[in-house]
Amino acid sequence: MTAHTTGVPLRAKPRNRPISEARGTRTRSALRFWPQYVSIAPFYLLFVVFGAFPIVFSIVISFTDWDGMGRMTFVGLKQYQYLLGDARFWQSVSNTFIIWIISTIPMLFIALVVAFLLHQNIRLKSFYRVALFIPNVTSMVAIALVFGSVFSDQFGLANAFLKWIGGSNAGVAWLTDPWGIKITIALMVIWRFTGYNAIIYLAGLQAISSEIYDSARVDGAGTWRIFSRITIPMLRPVILFTVITSTIGGLSLFTEPQVLLGNTGGTNNAGSTIVLYQYYQAFQNFDFGYGSAIAWALFVLVLLFAIINWRLVSGRKEDEFGRALPGPIGRWRQRNTAKKEAGR
Amino acid sequence: MTAMAPAVGSAEAIRRFNSHDGKTARRRRLVTRIVTHACIWVGVLLSLFPFYWLFAMSTQTTAQIFGFPVDFFPSNQLWINIRGVLSNIDLLGALRNSFIVSGSLALLVMFFDSLAAFTFAKFEFPGKTVLFRILLVTFLVPGSLSLVPSFVLMSRLGWVGGLQALIIPGAANAFGIFLLRQFCETSLPNELIESARVDGAGFFRTYWSIGLPMLRGGVAFLGIFTFIGSWNDYVWPLVILVNPNVQTLQPALAQLNTMYSTNYGWVMAGALISVLPLIAIFIIGSRHFIANIAAGAVKG
Amino acid sequence: MAALSRRSLLTGAAGLGVLSLSAALSACSSPASISAGTDELTLWYWPRSMNPSALKDAAHGIPGTNKRLNAMTPANTNWDTRLRTSLAGNADVPDIVAINSNVSLYFFDEDMFVDMNKFGAQSFKSQYFDWKWSYGETPSGRMCFFPIDSGPTGFYYRADVFAKAGLPTDPDAVSAAVRTWPEWIELGKQLRAKTGSHLLINSTQLFNQIVNASPERYFNRAGDPLYTRPGSAIKDAWDIAVTAIKAGVLGNQQIATDQNAGWVTGKTAGHIEAVWWAQILLDTAPKTKGSWRLASQPVRAGNSGGSFLAIPHTCQDPEAAFKFITWSQTAARQAQAYNEVQLFPSTPAALTGGTMKDASHGFFGPQDSLAFFKTQAETVPSAFISPYEQIANYFTTEIANVEAGGKDPNRAWDDAVNETNQVLRKHGVNV
Repeated sequence: MTAHTTGVPLRAKPRNRPISEARGTRTRSALRFWPQYVSIAPFYLLFVVFGAFPIVFSIVISFTDWDGMGRMTFVGLKQYQYLLGDARFWQSVSNTFIIWIISTIPMLFIALVVAFLLHQNIRLKSFYRVALFIPNVTSMVAIALVFGSVFSDQFGLANAFLKWIGGSNAGVAWLTDPWGIKITIALMVIWRFTGYNAIIYLAGLQAISSEIYDSARVDGAGTWRIFSRITIPMLRPVILFTVITSTIGGLSLFTEPQVLLGNTGGTNNAGSTIVLYQYYQAFQNFDFGYGSAIAWALFVLVLLFAIINWRLVSGRKEDEFGRALPGPIGRWRQRNTAKKEAGR
Repeated sequence: MTAMAPAVGSAEAIRRFNSHDGKTARRRRLVTRIVTHACIWVGVLLSLFPFYWLFAMSTQTTAQIFGFPVDFFPSNQLWINIRGVLSNIDLLGALRNSFIVSGSLALLVMFFDSLAAFTFAKFEFPGKTVLFRILLVTFLVPGSLSLVPSFVLMSRLGWVGGLQALIIPGAANAFGIFLLRQFCETSLPNELIESARVDGAGFFRTYWSIGLPMLRGGVAFLGIFTFIGSWNDYVWPLVILVNPNVQTLQPALAQLNTMYSTNYGWVMAGALISVLPLIAIFIIGSRHFIANIAAGAVKG
Repeated sequence: MAALSRRSLLTGAAGLGVLSLSAALSACSSPASISAGTDELTLWYWPRSMNPSALKDAAHGIPGTNKRLNAMTPANTNWDTRLRTSLAGNADVPDIVAINSNVSLYFFDEDMFVDMNKFGAQSFKSQYFDWKWSYGETPSGRMCFFPIDSGPTGFYYRADVFAKAGLPTDPDAVSAAVRTWPEWIELGKQLRAKTGSHLLINSTQLFNQIVNASPERYFNRAGDPLYTRPGSAIKDAWDIAVTAIKAGVLGNQQIATDQNAGWVTGKTAGHIEAVWWAQILLDTAPKTKGSWRLASQPVRAGNSGGSFLAIPHTCQDPEAAFKFITWSQTAARQAQAYNEVQLFPSTPAALTGGTMKDASHGFFGPQDSLAFFKTQAETVPSAFISPYEQIANYFTTEIANVEAGGKDPNRAWDDAVNETNQVLRKHGVNV
């Protein structure tokens, strides 16, 4: 089992090409393949019922005024009209993006540095990896409770520390000031995902051939120069991947602000994210119609980002649609080999 | 992680480069190593500190937690707090439900995903390409977007308040199928399947006696991954579990927080209880898990 | 992966085949009523919202019925979300449910609840405070929400902290010193200057309690908004809250844990709340026992909290449920409820019955809290709570923005009015 526990999946070798049971007899009835269809059916069935149908159904709900209990009233596009003029919705959108930016940029940078450090042949490596990764598998609710007390305005450790350094007037209203709220949430995201991203970068680093480094060393390049001129460019596809996952995670931020600040997102709704606002409208105000309209707005945003990401990652090659997915690393390898060959 | 390439700036590389000036190089190497370890330790301490703090607070009285100056060290209230939580809220019931949900979801995902992945990787059938593309597109559909319609659907099915609402919808997913298909391509030689066919084994038998055993590394990883994800799921159980007697851990914990904010020692003890099983599971499977997470995530 | 043998994996997989099949087959519906198929009626209440002795007695059997009571205490925050989710999901709905003073929230969906007039609720009306009874009747005249307790409010303060600040400490003297809100704010300024303590946790609490003590609220019965009219009670309350924020007498504690810490440490030396809050304070800050006192709040007392019982439409036996409700809310039971969990009665007969005892056990030093709240109860005004108040809750959010976010008060007021009107229009109200 050792060969395929490697962090980077290998490309399919020719001998592992799928077996064609049909063997050139394409005209035969599809019924012949019933075991194959049965074995892949569960996913499609579940997706149609619990994935696709709700999304279509939410269009219907978003055209109504409904609290889930009383009568549904058809209101046409009114919910969307309201959405466009709803300052709180737009505030939630901007909150989501601000939190995403102030968490993702430092997080990915620190993760890169950590991965680089871990990649040195040092002792305790496996301990470090586990210790750094643990935040990622911990429940957000429990951790939000801990952060809530560490960053409490009145009795929190963070302010006690600031007071210890800067005198009794120091201290930040972490959970009441609009910026304090955003920073606290961002810190939680950073805490949780830095180790995760570092591990992914580490896998990327391990896939880079050591020859490049050796020759750079021979040329007299220092550590920083190697980091900025070789490591980062080589890791570009992996970095893109982490940006994508952080985007998806950032757009669906919910637990942290909800546990920390409640359904309204705290002072001035400064911690109200799009998903939290959707939840607030749907399951606190019981405005199912409006909640669905918000969901659709979010869906459009996610789609937009997915398309942008897709373009960035897949290099606009239509036929790589399926093959491209083995991951940015795989593609990087391909490109790298091609480059090397061209260079020789 | 066995076939690891020599590391960036590895000791070996440096030695080769600096061999003409041994003494300075050794000293420099030592300094570099100390600095490296020091930097990593800062990260490790920041990573682990919230856990220490959680533990420390769960051993203190509420007055100690809220008091000033901050009490940095554990006290002796742990058992009192734990007993307080367990006698006032059915946290053990929530724990049991979380195990039921996460465990059965993980098993279902392992089964359905490996079966589908086996099929996609090793067999040709009409419509395969199209179907696989559809599967890839569903990556784009994020789960928490359709809270309202999913809730209404569950209410029509009569599943609101039931644990099956947390299990069935996620019993097969595109991520796992995709991941395991990779494993199939790299670790399942066609010869084996071919010979099984020669021996007269049918499709499902081949899957059962050859496909599944050969894939067990990937399948186990997928199982742990699914288990952890489901264990930490919050918004959907929060919406769907209306019966106060049927809760999973995350919403129960959030309720504990709002219900007993006057007794923070309990809240922290409850949080500690909710965190421990997962950390245990993770540490047991950590080597394997971390090795695979990059492979899985890079494709996710 | 040596740990995971092929055999154990196969066993697991075989087990799951059975499991998934049985899950698919047995994925039977949750029943609409949480106690369907049993001889129980399930009640949802939150701790200290019901008379414990009555619940204990009814667990053995509800008198006059063949049902037993199963009393459950789900988590009490987002109470309405839990109840409305189960109503909307039509699953696990309790047979009887306690609802807080915001029953008007449910008026739009009054069909979800049984009209107790069907069982002769009108004959009980005369036993309860008029204002309390009328809160429980829907605009269409159905009686869906039966009175439990009421919540006359008072001004809680820390006599020891007041003494340190050189302020009056005797309840009568404090009451006399804070007849108006400007006087109350002035007192708070002195307290702040001398001890650094705040008079109240935050502006939302102050604003809400001023509104709770006002005969005029946000809307009239016709659904017209009153807050935009000149000299409206809402705008008055808003202005007082803004003055208090600027005077620095409020603690700007927006989060429960911060508030608790404030009471424990004495950084917050006052509060305005109903009688039931004393127990919460005792739980939070047990060491402050004996140093709290009660004074009349400025102008007049209000009503804060005080809950109701309702019978959801899914109830298996609404008649038995109604029997339980009336049996648990007699004057004698309400007096008992006060003695046990400090629920202030909603039947005047309980107050005059002579069985109620001061239950504060020295929490207010020598002061008799029962006598105090009895006096306060007399000044509580009747008011009309419109269902739209629940939809349009922007005033409290915006006042918090002024306090915590430093938002300009005039802009915050305009925003509150505009946002409220916008939501009202969305729900088809012409503003």
